[in-house]
Amino acid sequence: MSKKLRYAFFPGCTLESAAGELKIATELTCEKLGIKLDEIEGWTCCGAAQIQDIDDFLGVAINARNIALAEAAGHDKILTVCNTCTLMLRTAKKRLDEDEKLRAKVNEALAESGLEYKGTCEITHYLWALVEDVGLEALKAQVKTPLSDLSVANFYGCHILMPPDVMGFENPRNPHSMELVAEALGARNVDFEQRLACCGFHAIYPAEREAMLSNGVSCLTARDAGADCLVTPCPLCHMALDMWQADAQKHYDADITMPVLHLPQLVGLALGFAPKEMAVNRHLVKPTRMLEKKLARA
Amino acid sequence: MQTFDIVIVGAGGAGMAAALNASKEAGLKVAVLTKVFPTRSHTGAAQGGMNAALAYRDADDTVESHFFDTVKGSDYLAGQDAVEFFVSGMPDLVLELESMGVPFSRDERGRIAQRPFGGASRPRCCYSADKTGHVVLHALYENCLKQGVTFLDEYNLLDIAQTDGQLQGIVAIDLRRGEIVSFRARAAVIASGGFGRVYWSRTTNATNMTGDGVAACLRAGVPVKDPEFVQFHPTGLASTGVLLSEACRGEGGYLVNSEGERFMARYAPEKMELGPRDLVARSIETEIKEGRGFGEGMKSHVLLDMRHLGAEKIMERLPQVRDLAMSFEGVDMIADPVPIRPANHYMMGGIDVIDYRTCATVVDGLHAAGECSCISVHGANRLGGNSVSEVVFFGTQAGKAAAATARRRDFAGTSRLEGLEADWRRRFDEMRAKKSGKNLFEIRDRMAEAMWNGVGIFRDEAGMAQAERVVDACIADYADAFVGDDSKVYNSAFMNYVEVGNVLAIAKAVVMGARARTESRGSHSRQDFPARDDENFLAHTLVSLEDGAYRLDYRPVSITAFKPEERKY
Amino acid sequence: MESVIFNIKRFDGERTWNQEYRLPRETNTLLGCLVRIREEQDPTLNFTSACRHAICGSCAVQVNGNAYLACETQLDALLETFETTTLYLEPLNNLPVVRDLVVDFDGLGEKVKKVSGWLEERADRCDHMQSQEEFHLISKPADCVLCGSCVSECRELAYDDGTYLPPAVMNKAYRFERDSRDGSRGARVLAALQNNLWKCIHCQQCTTKCPKHIPIAEEISYLRREALRMGEKDSSGARHAYSFYDDVKKTGLLNETMLALRTEGMVKTAANRTPFAIRMVAAGKMNPLHMPKPVAGIESVRKLYEFSRRNDKEARHV
Repeated sequence: MSKKLRYAFFPGCTLESAAGELKIATELTCEKLGIKLDEIEGWTCCGAAQIQDIDDFLGVAINARNIALAEAAGHDKILTVCNTCTLMLRTAKKRLDEDEKLRAKVNEALAESGLEYKGTCEITHYLWALVEDVGLEALKAQVKTPLSDLSVANFYGCHILMPPDVMGFENPRNPHSMELVAEALGARNVDFEQRLACCGFHAIYPAEREAMLSNGVSCLTARDAGADCLVTPCPLCHMALDMWQADAQKHYDADITMPVLHLPQLVGLALGFAPKEMAVNRHLVKPTRMLEKKLARA
Repeated sequence: MQTFDIVIVGAGGAGMAAALNASKEAGLKVAVLTKVFPTRSHTGAAQGGMNAALAYRDADDTVESHFFDTVKGSDYLAGQDAVEFFVSGMPDLVLELESMGVPFSRDERGRIAQRPFGGASRPRCCYSADKTGHVVLHALYENCLKQGVTFLDEYNLLDIAQTDGQLQGIVAIDLRRGEIVSFRARAAVIASGGFGRVYWSRTTNATNMTGDGVAACLRAGVPVKDPEFVQFHPTGLASTGVLLSEACRGEGGYLVNSEGERFMARYAPEKMELGPRDLVARSIETEIKEGRGFGEGMKSHVLLDMRHLGAEKIMERLPQVRDLAMSFEGVDMIADPVPIRPANHYMMGGIDVIDYRTCATVVDGLHAAGECSCISVHGANRLGGNSVSEVVFFGTQAGKAAAATARRRDFAGTSRLEGLEADWRRRFDEMRAKKSGKNLFEIRDRMAEAMWNGVGIFRDEAGMAQAERVVDACIADYADAFVGDDSKVYNSAFMNYVEVGNVLAIAKAVVMGARARTESRGSHSRQDFPARDDENFLAHTLVSLEDGAYRLDYRPVSITAFKPEERKY
Repeated sequence: MESVIFNIKRFDGERTWNQEYRLPRETNTLLGCLVRIREEQDPTLNFTSACRHAICGSCAVQVNGNAYLACETQLDALLETFETTTLYLEPLNNLPVVRDLVVDFDGLGEKVKKVSGWLEERADRCDHMQSQEEFHLISKPADCVLCGSCVSECRELAYDDGTYLPPAVMNKAYRFERDSRDGSRGARVLAALQNNLWKCIHCQQCTTKCPKHIPIAEEISYLRREALRMGEKDSSGARHAYSFYDDVKKTGLLNETMLALRTEGMVKTAANRTPFAIRMVAAGKMNPLHMPKPVAGIESVRKLYEFSRRNDKEARHV
């Protein structure tokens, strides 16, 4: 990396509360990788596909505001750590860039607060930044503790892949980025049936039963494949899989216990951070002891 | 045995239009038997549009003009009374379809949009981008759901039972369960689609367009009318035969040979690319034959150049066509010309309908509509945009008439029906048990090749005689054909066997009609008889099957308004 | 010559097994390959197809877990996508299997009936007019060929009890809700609502796998917006969405602590979520005392809400 990487950082709501550990892991790993994160001042929730279900214009406008704030601060790339935040921001950007009328309307609304969406800022995700900006070789070079004893089941989540005309980083039918990163970190990838499954987060109240059934299968098939943990690039998937795991368990007789790591935590462990430094003890399904054992052997 | 007042065979444009009209009548029990889930029917493949003289785009258009264009296009073989009836009813029918939900493209004022089409003197082809058949088919299906029409999906017609000219019912196979089922009916409408698959791979038709209804009618003693009139669509994709809509020419596409010339100037100096299909198809083949095409042998083609229309117009009016050229030929027509060559497309002939108002056949109780039928409104050559119109229009007529028939007519006996049902059950069992025999696909391909080479775009006696010999040999081999699947459940192999039998029976009728017609008319183009011969052949061919032997007859054409004259474009 | 293995899931009405077929690698469509297998190797293999050019919707199958229309899918493209020379073919998911790759679509028509998936023409209409703009609102959803790809891919249907509407049916509801000629607009929104409209997980599979590129997930969002506009806010899904909507207006951020409470109400939350909440607090995931403060520049966020409300009419057509 010749030039220091710098991003406007969009944490997303979960990092302020339930997924506080993800913020810790993101900031620590970025610092270690020489990435400068400038948190966007005044950022708001991306709408999480929920506000978009109430008010389509507002769903675009709040994200136009988020992007405009980053642009005003002189950034050309926003970094997120949440699949849904990435999708919401990118959807807004795509629509604004392709629809002049919409863009004029949104800018009319932003102008009331002295803001303007210019379209000069890209939106990326931590996972993509590792592959595309940091580079897998550079990442590998920074590994202090290869995760050679750890078998990971990558759970992509939907919104980092689809719809492809908005996301477009890789083919949603056969993505590789998670495996490539895990491989660079020295971990062993396991293939499992639910690798591209949905966590159900966005309908976890109305469709709780369905989400729990699916997540139970995700845990079980990861276990059957010999995984030590699931790894996900999305805090919403993490919530659905980790925080609700006890509820999913109620639908199954077999033990479904399966720790779930955030992708930046996995990166952090390989970069030499201790599990506790990556705040893995904040998870409901505790991976701490398993990780300590695996890392000790590495 | 099941009993319905009306049984409709086929759920395409004609079948569903018939079903909607037949079941409007309270108290009649109606069933639609269909080979495929209704929206899979081949009407959906029609792209360009449907003709109706609404005179929106061209205020000077008239029903009379549509009437004349259709008769002229038919090379004067169409029944003029039937054509007049048809074109007169079309404007109202298109408006009725509009009210049923068909999403037509619109002009600036919000009226149904119309485009020019081959052989039409005015732009009267109503369309929905390049998916007209698709949206019409789906709107009909939606209205059938609304009306609670009973569909029996994947029930395939096997035979029609009649004695002494009285319909008893039909026999079908319930493919999913593997049961032979008979349906007793007061009236039946055969709307089972065309038989382009006599040319097997050299056709734009769906794989299931095997003329099951036409063959069943032949076996039931109903003649096939004008089978030799076979339409070759000028613009099939060169490598697969997948159809590119006539709308390509309608919207202003150029046909270009290897010398960069718009060669239609030689054949139709006024209409150019907008000449009728038979003429344009022959022109392309002539260019290829005379060495001004691209490629060699089966890869020969000319180019369809759409580039001058610009991306916006192509995306708005021809989005599906563009996708097809990209998916199946690897060419984006916005950037490059598309390799095309004629392919079999449509059968003007079909089940002999003797009353265009009711779509009745010689068998009391039995009606036919759609491509399987021959009314005849297309004569020796169908105009683009007249087929979707025809299926919906005559499907509607047939449905209404079937309701009237069902009210008038009691059930006939069941002796023949029971006999046929037992025959098919035995045949199904035998074919499933049979362990070896002649390869069905080989027989089929041999027939198709002979038909393409001998009874294709250009014909002569020697070629057709050869084709008939091959077809006869194929029919003989078919008697020892082998299915290769002993399952009862969803036995596609058995259905393939039935279908090959049907296309063989029809292929024979096509060759016979073609050999006997020693003239050139419309799509029937003989190199040994290049002129039209009104004295001897201003007549419909009738091919019938009696006790296993084919017989030829002729019937005069109804001429009411327009005296036959030379057909020039 | 390189060969390709087609590992096909077979079913004969009773028994399920996998069977391998080999073909030389060649330029062909997936449908072309299936036809070759049936005609050259195994006449007992069953699949459905008709038009061969992606308009009849007969030939959708799953390849390596993804729905494709076999006729328009090039073998090379599949081998490239999956970086393999072995393809696993299965019938579509979430539909009854008849035999091998053949599924039963009859139930789909019954579901279309549930949302009155047809035009109910306005009683006062007699001019047969529709503007080009109005036509464009319905032309994309009318592209649906009912191939079942979205039905197969829907992540909600996979675990649903049979009450949820397949995406293709949601598309029908949307298509007629947006038709300017229709006189019963709103009725299909309510029908969708009664059939668990809020269970869509937003997974985007339908939009992604639709061979006609219909943005079905976005259409489902539209139906939800219409339901809310009609005042249908009394469901956990609607309340969940409003939690976000209200929180962002207040502080710019979601208040996760209150999310369950507001989505499900006090009684249900107390009954069902107490163990959950205790787990969360114990793990430090949730701090019941934490109330987010408004973000810097919250006024500009509220102005967007205000602006959108003012422009609501136009915003509906954004």
